[in-house]
Amino acid sequence: MNKLAVNLNVNGRNYDLSVASNKTLLEVLRDQLDLPDTKYGCGTGECGACTVLIDGQVVNSCLTLAATADGKAITTAIGLEKDGQLHPVQEAFVEETAVQCGYCIPGMVIKTVGLLEQSPEPNEAEIRHWLEGNICRCTGYEKIVAAVKSASKKMTNAGVKAVG
Amino acid sequence: MGEFKSVGKNVTRVDIRAKVTGRAKYAGDIDMPGMVYGKIIRCLEHAHAKVKSIDFSEAKKMPGVLKTLGPEDVTSKTYNQSVIDLMASAQEAEWMGDIEEQNIFTKHVKFYGDGIGAIIAETEEQAERAAAKVKVEYEALPVYLTPEQSSAPDAIQFVESKPGNRAFQLPAEMFPNNCLGWGDVDEAFKEADVVVEDRFYTPKQKQCQMEPNNYIALYDDEGRLNCWSSCQMPKLAHVKLARLFEMPMSRVKFNQTVVGGGFGARLGLVMEPEVCALALAVPGRPVKLLQPREEDWLSSPSRHPSDYWMKMGFKKDGTPVAIDAISKNFKGGYYLDGSALASTTGFWLQGMYKVENLRYRGESYFTNQPVCGAYRGYGNPQTNFVLEQLVDRACNELNVDPLEWRKKWHKTVGDNSWIGFTQYSSCALDECLDKGAEAIGWKEKRAKYANQTGVKRRGIGLSVGQHTSGAAPMILEHTTCTVRLNEDASAELLLACSDLGQGSHTTLRQIAAESLGFPIDDVHLDVGDSDANGFDIGAHASRTLYVGGNAVKQACEDARRQLFERAAKKLEANADDLDINDEKEIFVKGSPNKSISAKEICEVGVYNFVNHLTGERNGEIGQIQSYVSYMPDHNSPPFFCTFVEVEVDMETGEVKVLELVSAHDIGRAIHPAICEGQMEGGAQQGLGMALTEEIYFDANGKVKNNSFTDYKMLGSSDMPKMTNILVENPDPYGPFGAKSVGEAGLVTPVGAVANAIYQATGIQFTQGPITPEKILKAIREKAAAA
Repeated sequence: MNKLAVNLNVNGRNYDLSVASNKTLLEVLRDQLDLPDTKYGCGTGECGACTVLIDGQVVNSCLTLAATADGKAITTAIGLEKDGQLHPVQEAFVEETAVQCGYCIPGMVIKTVGLLEQSPEPNEAEIRHWLEGNICRCTGYEKIVAAVKSASKKMTNAGVKAVG
Repeated sequence: MGEFKSVGKNVTRVDIRAKVTGRAKYAGDIDMPGMVYGKIIRCLEHAHAKVKSIDFSEAKKMPGVLKTLGPEDVTSKTYNQSVIDLMASAQEAEWMGDIEEQNIFTKHVKFYGDGIGAIIAETEEQAERAAAKVKVEYEALPVYLTPEQSSAPDAIQFVESKPGNRAFQLPAEMFPNNCLGWGDVDEAFKEADVVVEDRFYTPKQKQCQMEPNNYIALYDDEGRLNCWSSCQMPKLAHVKLARLFEMPMSRVKFNQTVVGGGFGARLGLVMEPEVCALALAVPGRPVKLLQPREEDWLSSPSRHPSDYWMKMGFKKDGTPVAIDAISKNFKGGYYLDGSALASTTGFWLQGMYKVENLRYRGESYFTNQPVCGAYRGYGNPQTNFVLEQLVDRACNELNVDPLEWRKKWHKTVGDNSWIGFTQYSSCALDECLDKGAEAIGWKEKRAKYANQTGVKRRGIGLSVGQHTSGAAPMILEHTTCTVRLNEDASAELLLACSDLGQGSHTTLRQIAAESLGFPIDDVHLDVGDSDANGFDIGAHASRTLYVGGNAVKQACEDARRQLFERAAKKLEANADDLDINDEKEIFVKGSPNKSISAKEICEVGVYNFVNHLTGERNGEIGQIQSYVSYMPDHNSPPFFCTFVEVEVDMETGEVKVLELVSAHDIGRAIHPAICEGQMEGGAQQGLGMALTEEIYFDANGKVKNNSFTDYKMLGSSDMPKMTNILVENPDPYGPFGAKSVGEAGLVTPVGAVANAIYQATGIQFTQGPITPEKILKAIREKAAAA
């Protein structure tokens, strides 16, 4: 397979990579960069488990060819934690017990960060609509929605931006 | 709960930080030096065929290929991928007719996606490209998609020992006339004033756990076979693998990784035999087997679809005089737990109402469909869909309120339970019904929605259920637990109980902390390692908190007793008069100054020295440890109910679920938020089973919707407003009074939403799932008939 020179900034770290042109961003994150926090759930953009931020925008990394992210900044769930401190969205998920098996959660957390970046105080309908692309089979979404609301309140009160 | 320190509190889940950061390691996230990749070759041309030949010659030439494996290249020993057969005595297993008929790679394809061989290559992509070069010649066979088709006289037999492709019927040795129940049903129907009867279909529902079944296996330099898997029942998988590969259990190591959801999909073995066979072919190289979602869908068991007939008879005053039922399960291509599921479907039926006569026949038939096994509820949602709809139909004819009828006729404390020969130990269903009815406004809404005419019509429905906490005394129940107090008086627990995500490692830790009298942070659970952990059944039958919790409680109470006995000697007091505070100071009740730290006792037990002047030891020797091998006699069934309000569009057939209220008699909430989580997630799956979820086949048996695009689950916007009520009525046998909540949450939303649609439309739907197409068709037929 044709290889391309690609520069990715992932969670603040710069990588100069040689990437096969058919590799998705999900594959490169997991297999080449040893960042398995982003999950494979379906490989066809149906479930959102692979959601990452590219320059602040939410994207299904399983549908994104890695080479198309050349020169861009990528944030994954593990990159939200700064100096051992959880991101307010992650904190809210912890406090609301919004996690069961956890497999969808890195994608859910990133999706929430993306939502709060563009709409810091969403109403419940907006939250539920926004989360439609992310499947959770454990929680019935109830505590996840509660966590998004709580994160929004936390960040608004503290004057914090979602993408820091 | 003021009397407890850890129990009843929403403590932080032990696994949650790793899960929100993405650091939790699921099987697919593990990498090892020298790792290679496996790819299973599946039959995607036929649902029923003989494999005439497999040609690997082109595949072998592909780059990176290390090995190709066909049916002859792996053990010819057969197995049963379910583990239920391990839980019955040899006599009962013989009566039940359990069989082991599966091969790692088959020459007789029984369903679309059946595995026939494998490739091992240096990279995943190389394995996939090589697999595409394998040439297989098949002889197509007739495809049977229903029990009617597969039991036809001229149908090809799946297994010689199961004539007519009937995989199972209730055995006469255990159930006279192959029936479950009591009384004389035929006589009773003669006396009935109102009879309701119908034939239902309950759909083939997929668990859709978010983590696909992924594995690593390694045949290592010591000659040990290691397997990393998210199996729900690691100790039973351990023994099954040892038997299949004819190795002592000491040479098989089973590592349970973080489990990304289960719901029954990985109750027993899924692809563990395959990945271990691959590992044995390349000693020293770890083999990773990642399953694409579409293949995971085909290769892991689903819920059994069923053809379920039921008839109920009542007296004019509402007295239920008889229930007669036949459930025919579609087994899929292989036997698995054909016996247990067909039995429990009837158990849930006999456990619910005080009916004078009952007869249930349960059967399973092979079909050319992906295998069926355990799925949350294990027959209970099927029975709920059928029984609860017929109860509402009868209530309509009897002109009684469905809530009042259920309150009058549900079984309760002292009545024979679902298994038939033990009695219910606790029941707070009436309180659940009262609280649920009030929360949703049952009385007002039921009256308000009685006679509607518009395009959008509302309805409110109700359903009740009972489940179990563990499988005793029906089949084996057993958990071992070892507690070891470290020299600093922190505690290590060794046990094999699984956490599929439901939170059991957190709740078991709460029980341990409470029983020891230690702060929760001083207690650690060592789980998932078959070398370190003793026996445990694994996660099924809503047993982990109840059986595992009692094992943990007993072991920790014994460790605490040992600690107190040593303290009593030092304090010259009676061990029964001692207590322990938050700082782990053991003190004499009433004299808090008379105390000694737990740490001092534990430390002396380990770091014990002889005084060279006196020749005496400085305290009692030995690290404090406790071990229990716990087998319960009880199963403390939880009772529960769900109320659902819907709005049906009479022009499009669309159903909007507006509100859902569930109330569960859970005994004691060890962690209320975790209990609610089970009910909330259960509701999503139960509503899905009733409304949208079914695996569809074309006439050739090809699965049409093995993807999240084509298999519709309720999303975040589809879910209704939910209220989940925990009714705490401590059970005499549960740990701190707790009963199960894991499976129960799925069950009653099924019948409740069907009954809500019944009130809204005046039509009952016997064929699940109740899709807009079916609703519209029924509305038109009703209009045409009128």
